Amino acid sequence: MISALKSFADRLLGRGDATITVPSFDGALKPNQILETAETVAQFDAAEDIATDGKAIYIADGSVIRRFAASGTTEVRRFDRAISALCCLPDGGIAVALDGREVRVFPTPAAANATVMFTDPSMNAVNALSSAKDGTLIATDGSSARPTGEWVYDLMERGRTGRVLALDIANGRVRMMAEGLHYAFGACTAGDAIFVSESWRHRVIAISSDGSQRAVLDNLPVYPSRLSPAASGGFWLTAFAARTQLVEFVLRENAYRRRMMAEIDPDYWIAPKLRSGQSFLEPMQGAHLKTMGVVKPWAPPRSYGLVIRLNESGVPLYAIHSRVDGVNHGIVAAVEMDGVLFALAKGSGRLLRAPLTMIEKELRA
Amino acid sequence: MSSDVILALRNATKLYAGVPAIENVDFELRRGEIHALVGENGAGKSTLTKVMAGVVTLTSGTMQVDGVVVAPRTPLEARHLGIAMVFQENSLVPTMTVAQNLFLGQEKFYNRLRGIYIAAQQFLQSLNFDVTPTATVGLLGSAKKQMVEIARAVLHQAKVIIFDEPTATLTPEEKKYFFDLVRDLKHRGVSIIFISHALEEALLLADRITVLRDGKHVVTDDAAKFDRARIVQAMVGRDLSNTLYGTRKTTVRPAGARVLTVQNLKMAPMVRNNSLSVFAGQITGVFGLVGAGRTETFKVVAGVMKRDFFHGGEVILHDKPVRYRVPAPAVRAGIAYITEDRKVEGFFETMSVARNIYLGLLAKMPGGRFILSGREADKVGKGWGERLKVRSTGNDAKVVELSGGNQQKVVIAKSLVQDPDLIIFDEPTRGVDVGAIVEIHELIQGLADQGKAVVVISSYLPEIMALSDRILVSRQGKVVEEFSALEATEEKIMYAAVH
Repeated sequence: MISALKSFADRLLGRGDATITVPSFDGALKPNQILETAETVAQFDAAEDIATDGKAIYIADGSVIRRFAASGTTEVRRFDRAISALCCLPDGGIAVALDGREVRVFPTPAAANATVMFTDPSMNAVNALSSAKDGTLIATDGSSARPTGEWVYDLMERGRTGRVLALDIANGRVRMMAEGLHYAFGACTAGDAIFVSESWRHRVIAISSDGSQRAVLDNLPVYPSRLSPAASGGFWLTAFAARTQLVEFVLRENAYRRRMMAEIDPDYWIAPKLRSGQSFLEPMQGAHLKTMGVVKPWAPPRSYGLVIRLNESGVPLYAIHSRVDGVNHGIVAAVEMDGVLFALAKGSGRLLRAPLTMIEKELRA
Repeated sequence: MSSDVILALRNATKLYAGVPAIENVDFELRRGEIHALVGENGAGKSTLTKVMAGVVTLTSGTMQVDGVVVAPRTPLEARHLGIAMVFQENSLVPTMTVAQNLFLGQEKFYNRLRGIYIAAQQFLQSLNFDVTPTATVGLLGSAKKQMVEIARAVLHQAKVIIFDEPTATLTPEEKKYFFDLVRDLKHRGVSIIFISHALEEALLLADRITVLRDGKHVVTDDAAKFDRARIVQAMVGRDLSNTLYGTRKTTVRPAGARVLTVQNLKMAPMVRNNSLSVFAGQITGVFGLVGAGRTETFKVVAGVMKRDFFHGGEVILHDKPVRYRVPAPAVRAGIAYITEDRKVEGFFETMSVARNIYLGLLAKMPGGRFILSGREADKVGKGWGERLKVRSTGNDAKVVELSGGNQQKVVIAKSLVQDPDLIIFDEPTRGVDVGAIVEIHELIQGLADQGKAVVVISSYLPEIMALSDRILVSRQGKVVEEFSALEATEEKIMYAAVH
């Protein structure tokens, strides 16, 4: 009774759980246009993930794995289903998640047969793979309720069925490391622990070998996605959308949200998007987006592009942005190779290239 | 005395309890000139001008107006001689309206309020001052109060107007209006005496500059013959030009842990959906024009003001949402807010230095105390007084007897004694002399070096740029831009603050 009254009062006054606030992009997350002005080196129809073996970039483009190197882009292999995650292994192999339900490990990117296949029936939305030190493969299973393509449904249904799985390549076993996560999306080994992005809670958590969890990076102004190691230590964390007060509000209004999901085309939901500005039917996000016909870069974003550089402890050092008035939105993966950062903007289907020297120079200017 | 000289002081000496505030000072004010009076706090500027304005009388020496020896004993007598003073301390009646304050002392037997308001409106408009004559003065911000003070002096049609720190509370735009007004008064033949700690203003505005030090006259010369370094050297007897607002920063402190997050804070009408973060081990400078909501935002953080009741946003301290309705729990949580208005909110002026500092410590103690220890108060006061180099005649000296810079140090000591994690300095060097500015700046830098999260709110751009590691620019109630100290320029910051 008391909690019901408290909940009612909180909703009325906008406090406690009903506080509809969003942190700002400041400090290490200070906005810039580096990601927006980064060079576009390739364009894909259905880009999903990227990985690197140190010599080339591998791109999951629909059901095809492509290889991008200085010589250009070539097709490596093709599957019968869409690829939902990709990971280069230290031994030269490659791990591929298909449709979020199956993970196959190949000895080389072009090898005909997989050395091991993981087809655990509980796997539903495997969206990221990462190689662990002990030879296992870490997989994040975003949702047990919705497939990878329906991530926005999972958000609107306030899904909390994400899991982290350890896939043992040696014996083909699957071990659950964590469950009940609010959309696990991306993992990376960090010392003895594993850093995992929990998108709907806007945070990165560390899962220790004993299964205990702690927040490494909390209250982010974005929906974090995949993690990858940085060459000089630390990590690259991508974010596929930014939070807005309007979406936060809708997420707290259950009746409104249910009706919106039942009656409105998902393209026009009040929800984060990987790209925007395509139709006048898109909902305005709480403020005027344009002044004199020009999109304001600081307007509340319907879609956004962000890559955050973290140190070994998970503390943000800096970030590169594609703001509201940009197009390189929906960044789902970033990897570093030979002093160059490659980022995949799923919204525009672009593979972006930004030399680290250029980033540091721009941030210093 | 030349006919060109409207006001002169010869061998002017004023003793307070046997101690000279000014000693054998010779001063001349020419007709229609703007004369800047500069010096450290305690140099005797205010005493000298108070003599002219009839607030205090000379112990020895003479004062002449238009060649006639005079000795005004009250401000009214000085006003009858054509001398008006705009005081640094606000001398308006807070419960009266702007118009009533303007015409205070000039009331007729029968006063029609409507007539007063119309006359005040016309007069304020002629000065280009955006102040509503029907507004109650107590509800005005300090900048607008200052405008009313200035307007009142102009209204009295004085031949000599003395401004004591007139621009300390004004925004850059308001300062421009003020400078235009002063030049206009000069063209009308009014002589101006202008006390300012902002030396650029003295150089920009004045025809002649007089420098006082330790109650003695040091030099008077044409403003064109001065530069900043020469003035500072004359003021303090040493070269401070490299330490005060010195060379451009080449390194900034890295951000530590996030100490404070303000999310979508609302406090109508001043704070509008404001969001910002403050990190440990860094000085976060907050710049903005008056009315940008900077002070109000941090007053909400410190529990001095309350955010909007409905959906007023969130303040997160050390990753935990907090909401302070009064300052006490904020103080206990490690937040120190050092006010911009030290005379009203900063200290108890008739209490001693030691007791004021001890009060800060008492505020941190949960539940308060029934028995106060005089010995402990003396010990704490002495310790912090020495640490912050508070120059006073002793622990028992009343704060009101100290110079502005030393008063500010007492206010700072009162907060630092609480050992806070987050220290918010609101206009830390307003009305403070250059010597004390250097010491206060060193203190602020030292706090950041110790790993404290420091916020410096200032309307003075060189101060913001000299101190800050990161600079937040506030406009119309919210932070609109962030700069690293390495990339910031005055032009960029001002552009963000205005556009």
